[in-house]
Amino acid sequence: MRILFFSQVRDAVGCAEVEWAGCEPMTIETFWERLLQQFPTLTPQRSAVRIARNGAFTQNNEILEPGDEIALIPPVSGG
Amino acid sequence: MRITLELTAHAIARPDPAGSLAKGQIGAWVEFAGVVRGLENGTPIAALEYEAYDTMALRVMREILEGLATRLACESAWVIHRIGVVPVGETAIWIGVGAAHRETALALVAEFMNRLKQDVPIWKHRALTDADLGVSSP
Repeated sequence: MRILFFSQVRDAVGCAEVEWAGCEPMTIETFWERLLQQFPTLTPQRSAVRIARNGAFTQNNEILEPGDEIALIPPVSGG
Repeated sequence: MRITLELTAHAIARPDPAGSLAKGQIGAWVEFAGVVRGLENGTPIAALEYEAYDTMALRVMREILEGLATRLACESAWVIHRIGVVPVGETAIWIGVGAAHRETALALVAEFMNRLKQDVPIWKHRALTDADLGVSSP
């Protein structure tokens, strides 16, 4: 699973992406638990960050698969 | 609706819309340019640095435009968003919309901008001062 970080999320974790090799399919809740264990500095941003899976915003009950590209989307501000 | 989308690291030159206008079907051509202001939250700045999740940004912009087009009948929409460092006074986003009537073209531009600011993964990552850009004060 490839995980991408943008803007203030990238600043909080200190890198643009990480790879989780050999992980199992997981719920979004499990994903967050594992991610916050690895990057506790993300905790304050969790409530404002949306998850995208393969370029589309996820629904709450979605399952994330090992081959997915997951992106953490902090509040956007284009234009 | 014909949709043209671009993300660019270069200054946006206003496109010539002639090629995207279906002759005889367009009664209104509406353009909008979003320009970087010299103040960000009350503080003078020299530039804004934008970043994007490129593939998703293009996909979401297309989905938004296709959705809006189901109730706002427009012939064409052209969106260019600049990424990277955009100096004050330069264009960060340019939109051109062609439609049979002005009401739909104006509404599409307005609604698209609202949706862009909610759902398109593009960020003003940081504000830059003259010092950040290596410009010395007089």
